[in-house]
This record gives sequence, structure tokens and C-alpha cells, in this order.
Amino acid sequence: MDQTGYLILAISILVGLLVIFMVSFVIYRRTPAPKGCEDIKADEEKCAACSNEQCQFAKKREE
Amino acid sequence: MTDKIKREKGYTKANFLKGLFVENPLFVSILGTCPALATTKSLEAAIGMGLLFTIVLICSNVLVSLLRKLIPEEIRTPSYIVIIATFVTMVKMFTNAFLPELYSTLGVFISLIVVNCIVLGRAEAYASKNNVFDSFIDALGMGIGYTLAIMLMAIFREFLGTGAFTFGKIFTFIPEVKLQIIPKGYEISLFQTPVGAFIVFALILAVIAFIRNRKAELKFNLDKQEKIRKAQEAKLKAAQAAANNGGNK
Amino acid sequence: MVMQTFVSFLLAIVSSMLIDNVVLSRFYGICPFLGVSKKVKSSLGMGIAVVFVIVLATLICWPLYHFILVPAGIPFLDTVAYILVIASLVQLVGLFIKKYSPTLYKSLGIYLPLITTNCAVLGVAQGNTDQGLNFLEAIANGLGTSIGFLLIIVTFSCVRVRLESANTPKAFKGLPIALITAAIMAIAMMGLQGLFSGVIK
Repeated sequence: MDQTGYLILAISILVGLLVIFMVSFVIYRRTPAPKGCEDIKADEEKCAACSNEQCQFAKKREE
Repeated sequence: MTDKIKREKGYTKANFLKGLFVENPLFVSILGTCPALATTKSLEAAIGMGLLFTIVLICSNVLVSLLRKLIPEEIRTPSYIVIIATFVTMVKMFTNAFLPELYSTLGVFISLIVVNCIVLGRAEAYASKNNVFDSFIDALGMGIGYTLAIMLMAIFREFLGTGAFTFGKIFTFIPEVKLQIIPKGYEISLFQTPVGAFIVFALILAVIAFIRNRKAELKFNLDKQEKIRKAQEAKLKAAQAAANNGGNK
Repeated sequence: MVMQTFVSFLLAIVSSMLIDNVVLSRFYGICPFLGVSKKVKSSLGMGIAVVFVIVLATLICWPLYHFILVPAGIPFLDTVAYILVIASLVQLVGLFIKKYSPTLYKSLGIYLPLITTNCAVLGVAQGNTDQGLNFLEAIANGLGTSIGFLLIIVTFSCVRVRLESANTPKAFKGLPIALITAAIMAIAMMGLQGLFSGVIK
């Protein structure tokens, strides 16, 4: 195969990867969670690793 | 949506400054720790890393903000990842062409800007909802805040680890200068190793936590004093009123 | 000959696992290291998922670079290709777990999307081609790095459970003392540095 053929192959593989990524992302989001884990949370005692208050896992500060 | 909200005065300034202090990506949100620990051996490398990071952040934030009405909600994250990866590739190639020393010093960490949580986080949390100018200012503030943060770490590590500040080794267009402050043989080379990175980061975070605790304590005490004063005043008034009543009778 | 290859394969795994540990000396994957590792069980789950993804990503990315991107004359698109491979892998693995294994999903579900932004995965894939490793070395690097990550994240979570009840100064509570602990672990890792100096030249 010559250079152009390889180029077309490579670009089509990249585009294919992109399509696979997007499709699997959408399917992943649309697949309902299995029974019993509809609303799993990060930790029972919540994360206090950082002080980022916007993080959904962040522990709400007392006081 | 948010574009049409009438902005109060000084919004742009606050938007810029929040990245520097209140919402500093490294010291407050603890994001982007990998390059912060890995590239802070020398001040110059930290400046270079911060510069490349800021460029990628600004470009991706502006483009995401421009495209925010075109990208469907469902495939937002994948598109942002591709946008960021493209800009990182471009920045990587420019660095390789114009600053080869910086390229070889930072190595794989230039590519790792793609998976830096700050870039994706700002695209999702800010640029996807705000107009181009605000996103630009936000990215500029965050980028400079991050750069200053890793420069602070690098200053400690280079100063204590080598006892000197060296310039001109990575940015070869300026003349090479070496400022030896601690005499040779008295430096603590532990600070140049990974151990030093962890220790410096821990101490900076501890100082920030200390100041924050102090402030909270001070505020708590002031509130308490205010409360006591008010209670005493109320008591005094009640006593006076009682005395007056007694006098009337 | 085969024996020699096998021995050097094992040595490469151990050296990228212990001596040049991902978290403590190469600084990949600090975020999950600090964020997730609070419970031994969940950090074990995260670590195993990372091992799986890193090995798969190595198996795909190395041939992709050497047999597709280089002959086509576009090796500079490696970062874009790798991140696409990693992100699709994470999504596909997540999809599989979500559909067929509720028990696994229960323990891993929330950590799966985080693996995409774990520096260790992209760092290994990029490092393999940047350093010009051959396929066997690349696999050894991937295996060693990911097992090293698993080892450190589980050890660290065991330490952190005890740190919770320790009497630390108020300013050091939480992250700072965890980082100091990491520094002490890094000192321990530095002690292993001369381990193979006699074996590998």
C-alpha cells in the first residue's frame, strides 16, 4: 500500500474511533443502571479529600 | 441564558481574580496535582508548564464557548475531549519546534494536559454556559492562578534543593544566569526528589488550612463577643426598666 | 534465549512497579490516589479497573502507533488517537459491566468514568511510544505500572483508615497529613532504587 492509502486508512480509523467513543458514550448514558444501584453514592462517609465545595461528593462543612 | 442577565459592576474583575485566590485550581480545588508535583523541580520548568497550560486552557475555553450552541447536550464530554486533545497536540508541536529544551524537560507531561481535570472541568462548568469574553477571562484567571501556584512550589523546591536559581537553561533565548544563594554543600537535595514535592505541597496546604482556621476562629470569637455584649445590653435595659417601674410604683 | 527474554520481561515489570513507581516517583494518577483511597474495598476496585484498562490500552495503542500512524506519516496525532482509544475503552468496559454484572457495577460504577482522566493510562500509552519501547517492553511497562498503582493505592488506603483516628494538628487534618504520609512512602520506595543495579547494566 502506498502513502495515500495508509493516510486514508489512518484517518478512517481515527474517525471510526471517534464514532465508537461517541456512540458508546451515548449508549452508556442511556442504559439504565441495574437493579439496586440506581443511586449509588461515592462513599457513605463522603469524601473530604479536597475543599472543593462544588464537587458532588464533597463533605458539607459543619459550622 | 446567563448572557442576558444584567451583570453587576466589576463582574469581569471578580471573574478574573477568583481563579487566582478564592477558587485557585491547585490549592483550593486540588486539581491538576500531577504536573504540579512533577514539573516543579526548577522554576523555569514550572513557568513553562504554566504557560503551555494557560494557552491550552484559553484556546479550549474560547472554542467550547463559541460552539456551545452547536454541540448537542448528549455528546458534550466527548467533543470537549477531542477539542482539548487537538489543542494539546498543536501546543506540543509548537513547543517541539521553538523551545526544544522545554519539550524535553516536560516530556510526557505536555500530553498529559489532555487529562488535566482543570481544562475539562472549566469547559464543562463554565465555558459551556457563558459567552466568549467571560470564558476567556475565566480561563486567563484560572491559568494564571495555576501558574502562580506551581511557581510557588518550584521556588521552594529549587531554592532548598539546589540553593540557587538558574535561568536560561530552558528558555535559551535569555542569557544563562545562576544565582547561588545558599553556598554549595549546604543545600538539601531531598527537595529535588519526589519526596520533596510531596512535602512542599503538604506544607503549603497546611499553611492555607491554618490561615483559614484562624480566620474562622476569629470570626467565631467576634460573633461570640457580639452576642455577649448584646445579651448584657438587653439585661441592663431590662434592669433599668425594672428599676423605673419600681420607682413609679 | 527464551529464558533470558522471560527474565528481562519480569525484571522490567518489577522495576516499573516498585523502583519507578507510578504514583510516588512518576507522579501519574495523583488525583485518584488522594481522592478515592479512603476505603480499602473501593480503592481495590478502582485499582483493578485501572489495571484492566491500562493493559488493554497498551495492547491497542502500541500497534496503532507503529502499524497505522507511522506508515501513514501522521505520528503527531498520537495523543488524539490514544485519548480516543482510552475513552472508548472505558465507555465500553463500563457498558459491559452495567449490562451484565450488577455486583461489579455496584462497587465500581462511580469510579469508571474517572479512569478516562487518570493520568496513568495516557501516561503509559504515551510513554511507551515516546521512549521507543518494543512491544514486549511496552506490555511489561503497562503491567508493571498498573500493578504498582494498585499496590500503592491499596496500601495508602490502609494507612489513611488509621490516619482518620490519629491525633493530628488541626491544620494538617485531611489532605496535608495524607501528603506527608505519601512522602514517607516515597522515601521507602527510594530505598529500593539500587535493587537491580547488579542485574541490569
